[in-house]
Amino acid sequence: MRKNKSVLLSTPYILWMLVFTLIPLGVVGYYALTDPETGGFTLSNIWELGKYLPVLGQSVLYSLASALICLILGYPVAYYIAHRGPIVQKILYMLVMLPMCMSFLLRTLAWVGLLQDTGIINSFLQAIGIGKLQLIRTPGAVILGMVYNYLPYMILPLYATLVKLDHRLIEAAEDLGCTPAKTFVKVILPLSVPGIFSGITMVFVPAVSTFYISQKLGGTDTVLIGDLIERLFKQGDNPNLGAALSLVLMALVFVCTGIMSRFGGEEEGGVIV
Amino acid sequence: MKKTNRILTILMFIFLYIPMVVLIVASFNTGKDITKFEGFTLHQYAELFRDEDLLRLLGNSVLIALLSTGISVAFGTVAAVGIHSLKPKMRKVVMSLTNIPMTNPDIVTGVSLSLLFVFVGSGLLGQRESLNFWTLLIAHVTFGLPYVILNVMPKLQQMDGSLTDAAMDLGCTPVQAFFKVILYEILPGIVSGGIMTFTMSLDDFVISYFVTGSDFVTLPVEIYTYTKKPIQNKVYAMFTLLFLLIFVLMVVMNLLQIRAGRKRETMRSVSRGRMIFRRVIAGAVAVCLLVGCCALIFSNKQEKITLNVKNWGMNMADGSDGTLDIVKAFEEKYPHIEVNMSYYESNEALYSQLNNGGITVDVIIPSDYMIDRMIQSNMLLELNFDNIENFRYVDEQFKNPAYDPENKYSVPYTWGTLGILYNTKYVDEADLTGWELLWNEKYAGKILMIDNSRDAFGIAQYLLGYSINTTDKTELDACAQKLAEQKPLVQQYVMDQIYTIMENEEAWIAPYYAGDCMLMMEENEDLAFYLPQEQGFNLFTDAMCIPTCCKEKEAAELFINFLTDPEISGANMDYICYASPISAAREHMEAYLAESEIVYPSEDVLEKGTAYAYLSEEITRYVEGLYQSATKLNTFG
Repeated sequence: MRKNKSVLLSTPYILWMLVFTLIPLGVVGYYALTDPETGGFTLSNIWELGKYLPVLGQSVLYSLASALICLILGYPVAYYIAHRGPIVQKILYMLVMLPMCMSFLLRTLAWVGLLQDTGIINSFLQAIGIGKLQLIRTPGAVILGMVYNYLPYMILPLYATLVKLDHRLIEAAEDLGCTPAKTFVKVILPLSVPGIFSGITMVFVPAVSTFYISQKLGGTDTVLIGDLIERLFKQGDNPNLGAALSLVLMALVFVCTGIMSRFGGEEEGGVIV
Repeated sequence: MKKTNRILTILMFIFLYIPMVVLIVASFNTGKDITKFEGFTLHQYAELFRDEDLLRLLGNSVLIALLSTGISVAFGTVAAVGIHSLKPKMRKVVMSLTNIPMTNPDIVTGVSLSLLFVFVGSGLLGQRESLNFWTLLIAHVTFGLPYVILNVMPKLQQMDGSLTDAAMDLGCTPVQAFFKVILYEILPGIVSGGIMTFTMSLDDFVISYFVTGSDFVTLPVEIYTYTKKPIQNKVYAMFTLLFLLIFVLMVVMNLLQIRAGRKRETMRSVSRGRMIFRRVIAGAVAVCLLVGCCALIFSNKQEKITLNVKNWGMNMADGSDGTLDIVKAFEEKYPHIEVNMSYYESNEALYSQLNNGGITVDVIIPSDYMIDRMIQSNMLLELNFDNIENFRYVDEQFKNPAYDPENKYSVPYTWGTLGILYNTKYVDEADLTGWELLWNEKYAGKILMIDNSRDAFGIAQYLLGYSINTTDKTELDACAQKLAEQKPLVQQYVMDQIYTIMENEEAWIAPYYAGDCMLMMEENEDLAFYLPQEQGFNLFTDAMCIPTCCKEKEAAELFINFLTDPEISGANMDYICYASPISAAREHMEAYLAESEIVYPSEDVLEKGTAYAYLSEEITRYVEGLYQSATKLNTFG
C-alpha cells in the first residue's frame, strides 16, 4: 500500500522533466529542420554545419586543454585538502566554493582588467622595466578564463573521492615496501579515477559551451561554438541554424560525458556543502 | 611531496582570489577604471542604496532565486521520495532524465526552453508575451530540481528503511512518518541541494539570458546586455556586500554543522539542538516561499501601465551630468505610466529579438533601412498622428522619408553620420586618407571594427567604391573578401563595448556613430572624429516606431509625442550628442553641440553622405552569412 502511494509522488516530477527537458529538445530538433523564411522542412541547416566544424574543433581543443590544466592544478590541492583535519577541511572546502558566489560575469571582467594592454599586470610589468606583453585576446587568455572559472568544479569531485579513500590501503602499500611515488601511482591514482573523470566532465561541459569568456578574453581568432550560437539567436536572426548548432553541441557533450562516465563508474550524487 | 602540495594549494588560492581582490578594491575606488586605483572612498556604498534601478534588479534576482529554491526543494524532496520507491529499472530511467539538464550545456538548455516557450506560447496559444516572469521561474526550477534530487537521493539510500516501518508500526501515518523520520534523515541532502540551487539561480546568466522577457530582468542579464557604460563601481560595491553576506552565512552554517556533529557523537537521541536545527531549516524554506510570494503580490499590485521601450544604449538623457531625466519627466507628466527601458546593440539584434517573439515591446528606435525591413515584414503598427501633435515640429526634409514614404509608421528621433574615432596620441594625421585607415597595418591590433553586418559592409563598399545598396553578389563577395583581409589587423569586433576600450586607450581606431563618438571625446580629450568625405559615408536617421507586439499603443504614442517636443528633444540631444530632426530643438541645445561640425555637419559635407536602403530578405541573409564567414569563421579567402 505505502510503497504504491509513494511511487505516485514521483509522477509530477517525471511529467515536469518530460515537458521541460525532453520536449524542448524536440522543439530544438524541429527548428533545426525548418527553413527560417518559409517555415517548411529543410535539411539546409544541417548541410551548413560543415562550415562550423573548425570552430567546434577549436572549442573542444580549448576546453580539453583547460580540463587537463584544471586536473593538474586541482589534484594536488584536492589531495592536500582531503588530508587535513576535519575542521581545516571544512574551511578550505568553503574557500574553494566561495569565489563561485561572486558573479561569474564580474570575475571574468576582473580578468579583463588584469590582462588587457593597459591593464594591471601590464602596468606593473612596464613599471619594473619588462615592458608590455600581449596577454589578452590570445588562446591562452581564453583557456586561463576557463581554468579560473571552472577550477572549483574539478577540485570538488576530486576531493569527494580522495576523502573517502581508505587510508589503510595506503598504509598497506607502504608496509609492503612501496615508495610514496609508487603508492601514489599504484594505489591512490587508480582509486581516484572516478573523481578525475567526473571532474573533467564538470569542467569540460561548461567550458566547451561558453561564450562570455571567449567574448571578453578572446580575440578575433578565438571564436567558440557558444559565440556563434548566441550570435545566431540574438543578432543573426537565424534561430534555425542556431538550433542545428545547439544540437551538434549537445550531441558532442553527451558523447563525451558518456565516455567519461564509462570510465568514471556510477559515482553520482551530491557534493557535500 | 607534502610541502609542494601545500605550496600549490596556497598558489591556487591566490589565483582564485586575485580577481576577487580586484573587484573588492574597485568598489572603494574613486576613479572609474578598474585598472587604476585613484583614491579610497566609501561613497559607492551610499550610492548603491540610492540607486533604485540597481536595487530593483537585485530584488528581481533574489526573488527568482528564493522562489525557485523554495519550489525546487519542496517539489524535489517529494519527488526524491517517490523515485526512491520506484523499481530499480524505472529509477534508472528517471535518474537519467534528471541528468539531462545537469549534463546539457547551459546554452542548449536556455535555447531549448526559450524555443519551447515561444513555440507553445506564441505559436500554439497565440499569446503575445510568452517570455515573462513565469517562464523564467520555470526555467530556474527546471535546472534547480536536479540539484535537490541528486543531493537527496544518496541520503535516502543511506537511510535505514526499517526506520519508517518502525514509525508506522508505532502508529504514524505515512505523512507523519515522513515529517518525523524521513525528513530528518535526509535533511543534510535537502540543505545542500537547496544551497546549490540558490547560488546557481542567483548567479545564472546563460539560461536567464535566453528565457527572459522584457518585463522582468535579473541582475546578471542586465550586466551582460548593458555594455555601453563601464560597469559602475556601485555594482562592485553591491557584489562585495553580497560576497560578505554569503561568506558569513557559510561560516555560520559550518559552525552549526560542526557543533551538531559534536553533539551527535555524545547523544544519539533526538536532541534539542537537532530539533532547533530542523525547525530553522523548515522555517527558512517557508520564509523563502512566503517572502517570494509576498514580493510577487506586492509587485503586481500597482495599477500603472508599463511602457516597454527598447532603445540603443545611452540613447536617451537619463539625468546624469546635469541633463534632463527624460523618463522621469515623462512619468511626472503622466503619472499612470511607468517606463521600462531595455537595450539593444544593433538594428540586426533588435530585429532578431522581435522576430524571435515572446516579448512585449511598445516603442523601438531602429534606423532607416531597418524600419523599411520591418514595414515589409509587417512588424510595425501604423501610428495615430492625432496623438502625436508634436510631429508638426519635425523638419520637412525628414517627413515622408524613403524608408517610410507615406510617413505612416515612424517619427524621426535623431540623425547622424558614421565616421572614424581615433586617438590623436597614437594615430598620425597623415594616415587619415579615408576608410583605408581601418586597414592600415601600422595600427594592427589597435583597430576596432564595428560588429554588425550592414555597417561593416557599408564601410567596405565606400572603400571599394561600390554603391552601399548594391545587390550584386560579386560586389558583396568582394566586400567580404576585404573584411576578411582586415581581420588579422582587428583587435575586436565591438558595438557598445567600444566606449571602455577607446576611453582607456586599449584601442586607437574605431568606426562608430558620431553622437557616441562625441560622448567618448568628452571622456578622453585625445580622441577625435574623422569623416572620410571623399569616399562617402553613411548618413542615418533613427526613428521611433511601434512594433506589432505592442500592448500599450496609446501610451507609446504619448511617449513618442513627448520626445518630439522641441524643448525635450533639445534637452535629450544635450545628453546623447546627436542631431535632432527638429530645427526648433537646436535652439534648446547647448551651444557647443548645436554648433559642432560633428553633430551638425555643413550642407556640402552632408551631400556626400548616403543612406542605407533595405534590399531584400534574400540579400540581407546573404550579407549576414558572408559577414559571419569573413569575420568569425575564417572560411573566407
